[in-house]
Amino acid sequence: MGEGIVFDEVSKFYGEVLGVNRVSLHIPPGITSMVGPNGSGKTTLMNLMTGLIHPDRGSISVCGLSPRNPESLMRILGYATQYDAAPRGATGFDFVSAGLLLYGYSAEETRRRAWQALERVSLTEAAGRKVAGYSKGMRQRVRLAQAIAHDPEVLVLDEPLNGLDPLVRAETIAMFREFAARGRHVILSSHVLQEVDVISDQVILIANGMIIAEGQIRNVRDEIEEHPSQFMIRCRDASRLASLLFDMEHVAEVKLHEDRQGMLVLTRNRREFSLALTRLASSGSPVESVMAADENVDALYEYLIGGGR
Amino acid sequence: MNLKFRLRQAGMIAKLELRRVFLAKRSLWVYLLALFPAVVFLGHGIDVKLDQQRWAGRVTPAAVLDSIERGDSEDEVIRRAGDPVSKRRYRRGRDSRGSTFSYFDGQRRVDVRIEDGLVASKNVRAHVNFEEDRQVFAGFFHYFYLRLAIFFGCLGIFMNLFRGEMMGKTLHFWFLAPVRRDVLLAGKYMAGLAAAVTIFTTGALLSFAAMLWPQDPAAVQAYWQQQGPSHLFWYGASSALACLGYGSVFLAAGLLVRNPIIPAVVLSFWEGINGFLPAMLQKLSVLYYVESLTPVPAPIGADAPVLARMLLAPAAPVSAATAVAGLLGVTVLVLWMASRRIGRLEINYSTE
Repeated sequence: MGEGIVFDEVSKFYGEVLGVNRVSLHIPPGITSMVGPNGSGKTTLMNLMTGLIHPDRGSISVCGLSPRNPESLMRILGYATQYDAAPRGATGFDFVSAGLLLYGYSAEETRRRAWQALERVSLTEAAGRKVAGYSKGMRQRVRLAQAIAHDPEVLVLDEPLNGLDPLVRAETIAMFREFAARGRHVILSSHVLQEVDVISDQVILIANGMIIAEGQIRNVRDEIEEHPSQFMIRCRDASRLASLLFDMEHVAEVKLHEDRQGMLVLTRNRREFSLALTRLASSGSPVESVMAADENVDALYEYLIGGGR
Repeated sequence: MNLKFRLRQAGMIAKLELRRVFLAKRSLWVYLLALFPAVVFLGHGIDVKLDQQRWAGRVTPAAVLDSIERGDSEDEVIRRAGDPVSKRRYRRGRDSRGSTFSYFDGQRRVDVRIEDGLVASKNVRAHVNFEEDRQVFAGFFHYFYLRLAIFFGCLGIFMNLFRGEMMGKTLHFWFLAPVRRDVLLAGKYMAGLAAAVTIFTTGALLSFAAMLWPQDPAAVQAYWQQQGPSHLFWYGASSALACLGYGSVFLAAGLLVRNPIIPAVVLSFWEGINGFLPAMLQKLSVLYYVESLTPVPAPIGADAPVLARMLLAPAAPVSAATAVAGLLGVTVLVLWMASRRIGRLEINYSTE
């Protein structure tokens, strides 16, 4: 299972409409977020890796398995799509257990796993109610329960936090972290960039069917040279420190805070800036804190994809 | 994953699907189609029974009715045979008036037409004509049950197995299960087949029972001692085999096209012209084999229009064994093609 998820020059067209174009990716274990505007190709990538659609060109491998082989792949993969799949009249428990029966579990094991999955998404009380009567958040949770019920190695989730209340959202994120901590893959798409920032080990930025950037957020940020890096500095004598920093060649801009207790510095060379700040701090400039202001998905999105989110 | 496990998976899929197939609201018209002939024959039976009850106290001896001849006067008829069980008056042209007296001798109904006070004609027929009713049943079975009820019923059941889920955006539930696509196809086909065979075989047998119900018990008993059991078996078997064949075709069609009208029109045209096709192509038909299995050939009236006679005339029948083997062959071929198609099928709800 160590091979991860590999896309090799994958292209997919819907008739003449581009889905994704020449995508090459390697997704390691951990939480990976796919970020991009609507129609950028996030769901297409998810559908490709789960075999719901097939590439026109290139190949995909999920932990060494082909998405064209659902019999093997779906034993290690769970996918919570944006669409409800529960048959009419099915209860939450029916829905989760129906899927499990196809894995060949005994009736008792099926029941145990279904309850366990429903418990993990805090849906045991509503398990006996019909899915058709569930709220949006409950439907989201029952889909999630169905995806995790067989304890997959790879969890693919299309907008999994949509419609969840804050408490359940926090529990769900904790569950993703727990999955990732066990060396598994959690691949999700989300529009809520702040959340992606907090959850993700790595991000994949997509626009117009192409991968704009991939990797850990900090590494991706480091590769963006045309946008100076931003740092927030809190200190007592901000005006003096600002004038010292402004004289340095790599510093592009310094903006003092209104309270004169801090500033925003834009630098073209993070390393030089870091060394200079250390020198200044050790020579008596009282620096209280330094924080990267644009090492987050929001900033990456802005720099690489731009508006239109 | 061995064959046994895959068969178990197919069985599980069929079990999960059965409820949906049997109890879907959109299946209601399938039940109506299947039960329509039974309702018609039951209605006929009730009518016959009511007549028998109503006329039981007014039976005229057969010899008296046989003695009525053309030219007898109306008064003479009434004097000898008494008041008829029903009397209908009619008027023909400006001057001519007439009436029809109906008599009943316990088994036969005799309609005496009187014009200008004299017997103009006499029509004698069995009140319940078993032979005629069996012919009517055969006609119903060939022209309504096989060509319309089972045909469109299977279209409704089998096309929705995949197309319905695609429209309802629920097909991914199956595609995300650890099941080979051909196993999924087999499971769904089994569910559709179980439902279609249950509904249409039951419908055929109920119609047959309803047709027998008002008949003379002695005639029915004689029938059971001769061809009755064989007829019953083959009506049931040909219904089931028609479901098997049409089911596979419409299941495959549901994977290929979204609009059910298209396969319905194409297939009904193909089945309609089967009698004209070269022998080789005739074999690529469901109706060709099923009609060979029906116990009573399709009756075609001598006064039917030429085009209707051409379209309704069946191809030369084949032996039962050949028909069953041929139908199974067509079914396996179509299912194999469907399994190739489902392997390439993609879920793209946004374009549905």
